[in-house]
Amino acid sequence: MNALVGQTAVLLGLLACLAGILTLAAGLRTGQPQLLRAGRRYGWALFAAAAVAVAAMERALVTHDFSLAYVAHNGSRSTPLIFTISSLWAALEGSILLWTLILTVYVVAVTSKFRSRVGDPLVGWATLVMFAVSAFFFALMLGPANPFTRVAGVIPLDGPGPNPLLQNHPLMVIHPPMLYAGYVGFTVPFAFAVAALVTGRLGEGWLVETRRWTLFAWGFLSVGIVLGAWWSYEVLGWGGFWAWDPVENASFIPWLCGTAYIHSVMVQERRGMLRVWNLSLLLATFSLTVLGTFLTRSGVLQSVHAFSESSIGPWILSFFGAIVVVSIGLIGWRGDRLRSPGAIDSPISREGAFLLNNLLFAGFAFVVLLGTVFPLLVEAINGQQLTIGRPFFDGMTQPIALTLLFLMAVAPALPWRTASSEVLRHRLAVPAWTGCLTLVGCVAFGLRGIAPLLAFGLGAFAAAAAVRQLVVATRRSMADGSGPWRGIVGRANGGMIVHLGVIVIAVAFSASQAYGHRAEVQLQAGQTATVAGHRIQLVDIHGQHHANRDSMVADVRVDGGRIYRPAISQYFAMAGGGVGTPSVDTTAGGLSDVYVTLAAPPDQAGGPAVIGVVVQPLVAWLWFGGGLIAFGTLLAAIPGRRRRRPVLPASAPAHVAPRDLSAVGSQ
Amino acid sequence: MNAIVASPPARRNRRTALYSAVAVGVILVLFIAVLATRSSAVDKQARSPLLGREAPSLSGPSVIDGRPFELTSMRGRYTLVNFFASWCVPCQHEQPQLVRFAHSQGGDTAVVAVLFSDTAGPARDYLRANGGDWPVLADPNGQSALDYGVRGPPESYLLNRDGIVLAKFVGEVTADTLERLVARAKVAGQ
Repeated sequence: MNALVGQTAVLLGLLACLAGILTLAAGLRTGQPQLLRAGRRYGWALFAAAAVAVAAMERALVTHDFSLAYVAHNGSRSTPLIFTISSLWAALEGSILLWTLILTVYVVAVTSKFRSRVGDPLVGWATLVMFAVSAFFFALMLGPANPFTRVAGVIPLDGPGPNPLLQNHPLMVIHPPMLYAGYVGFTVPFAFAVAALVTGRLGEGWLVETRRWTLFAWGFLSVGIVLGAWWSYEVLGWGGFWAWDPVENASFIPWLCGTAYIHSVMVQERRGMLRVWNLSLLLATFSLTVLGTFLTRSGVLQSVHAFSESSIGPWILSFFGAIVVVSIGLIGWRGDRLRSPGAIDSPISREGAFLLNNLLFAGFAFVVLLGTVFPLLVEAINGQQLTIGRPFFDGMTQPIALTLLFLMAVAPALPWRTASSEVLRHRLAVPAWTGCLTLVGCVAFGLRGIAPLLAFGLGAFAAAAAVRQLVVATRRSMADGSGPWRGIVGRANGGMIVHLGVIVIAVAFSASQAYGHRAEVQLQAGQTATVAGHRIQLVDIHGQHHANRDSMVADVRVDGGRIYRPAISQYFAMAGGGVGTPSVDTTAGGLSDVYVTLAAPPDQAGGPAVIGVVVQPLVAWLWFGGGLIAFGTLLAAIPGRRRRRPVLPASAPAHVAPRDLSAVGSQ
Repeated sequence: MNAIVASPPARRNRRTALYSAVAVGVILVLFIAVLATRSSAVDKQARSPLLGREAPSLSGPSVIDGRPFELTSMRGRYTLVNFFASWCVPCQHEQPQLVRFAHSQGGDTAVVAVLFSDTAGPARDYLRANGGDWPVLADPNGQSALDYGVRGPPESYLLNRDGIVLAKFVGEVTADTLERLVARAKVAGQ
């Protein structure tokens, strides 16, 4: 029943995509608005099909319908309800289903938002592109990633449940949907970029219209990445949160491209420059989400996160190829229309800083991509196998990240077009002193190491610059009577809060990498050891029985206070390896994390157990920074000061604004 | 101002965009070709100093039925030496593939398993549950694992009919990969 409903819905979804594409294509060809209007309505059909398919799958999961292969492989009667529901994204087929649902939500949102302009060929083309992308995913679900395949032979009475690592933490419930919402969200700007290239309407109009969509996609992706790191930290038990694993890189590379775009699009809006570049960034961001999906789902790369192997590789790779051919073909064809009217007057200007920012982000993305696929390239050329590890990524990305921190401090202070040294001195003095004093303070406090000290100093510099912008903007909005909250909304001000979030993450990342300690101690019940200044006492080890697993739990008292309870669990449905569950707590007022794992239980009753201890500073800041990014993105999406003139430097302090305005003049 | 300089830069820009697009396109097509021709990471063979040399000896009673076993007795068959443990999830996963390989057509293939950080009792239960009727050797002090250079299960070594190591696999193997390698070895006369 569930299989029948789901399968039918997927098939109808595909048919609706194809019908929508044909209708829109006919409408665009003949210019008949009623055809375009009819085409738009298929968006709802797509959404309805995906929603019914997801509902059928959820119903099958919740009612334990083991006649479906997906449920038989990923469901079990003993899994808690919340993780049964989230099993939708515990394996490949269900993930594709979720992906499709999110995509159709975006389709409906776009068609509804632009319903008044349904006769516009640009909107028609964009809708068509989104239908085409949806068609691919519906087809995927009828082909190699069919979520509604039935079990061959006898229907089992129970299943193994999702991978144990995916059913012991609530973050697993929200991290994948967030990440997908980000990944899939880039389809919207991609569709509009293609539409703009096809129609040849490369003015800035469509950019402004899709800016907020891009921003939301970017925000979801950022939060998804941070939540992924958090999940990895809380669940995997190695004490780290970022390993430059292909799966992580696959989400990070589009993020880097998207970040570059969010910055450089402002140059285009203000100055009309960098059009080819911006389009290329959008096309690249979307292509990279597809490439990332290929790299992580096809099994060409080994990954600690490879939860599913599958045969969708050739499909996704073909899709990537098609996107690349279309994108590059369009850019080559329309290159003539993309000629920028302006030029950069001075490298020491806001647009100069954005250009440098873009080069750095593009370089960053390239380095991460290269590191991810380099083993494949080398193997193709001379058949050798090698692995690219942490040292490559850390060594290559560190200087880029530090330069970006520096730029983050300076760029908001730079006016558009050209900067005078007087203005710079005025705007940068306080932030620069803050950075210097922080650096001196850190050294005096006894911190050592070039990279972390630079990160702290530059982080303080950049943070002070961002705070200064917010203060100036708030003061100005209070002065003109629009209320203090106006000072933190809008793109520029919300962006500064996002900057603060990124800075907090950069500082936390650097500190935890540089000043972390890890050790394994062998303890018998009652014994105490000292690790990095923390007293670790093994109080007791005892068994615990759960509905779906047996656990061995260690009670570990840290510093004579809180009891940590790391465990190793044996899931009944997964004979074999035990799954470790670390126990983490933030101590010392958010400054330091103590992370305790049960690395090895005692061989016999009363014997010694091996307790892993990781002590890292500032890890909690990473999650706080993620929250700041989300909050800042929301603020940035709220329309800012409407009456701002394009030539008015957003950062101008109240008392110099009139003079700046007259000096710059109108274009 | 625009009128004066409009036409020559326009033409130049068109070419620039076109040429860049073609260049990027060619690179990406090559890249896609590379990706398309990669085999799955699961099938990848690992490097080992043992490749092309005689496999280190293995002998002792099989923990399943106590019958004595000697690796040299497998000469004449393509033998997979599989290091596994009952607590290892990927090993369980690959066990059906090993069963398939052990019974592949031609009858000249065999599997020998060596316990890695595990004991006889659980191993017997494991084979009963997951299939496999081949000799299983205990390796109580890890000497065989050390001889072969095994770091963690599952790792496997494919030996040819003369007991020479043809390939090493880290992680799960598939019967298809093994059969392909055996076919290739036969063609090469190994």
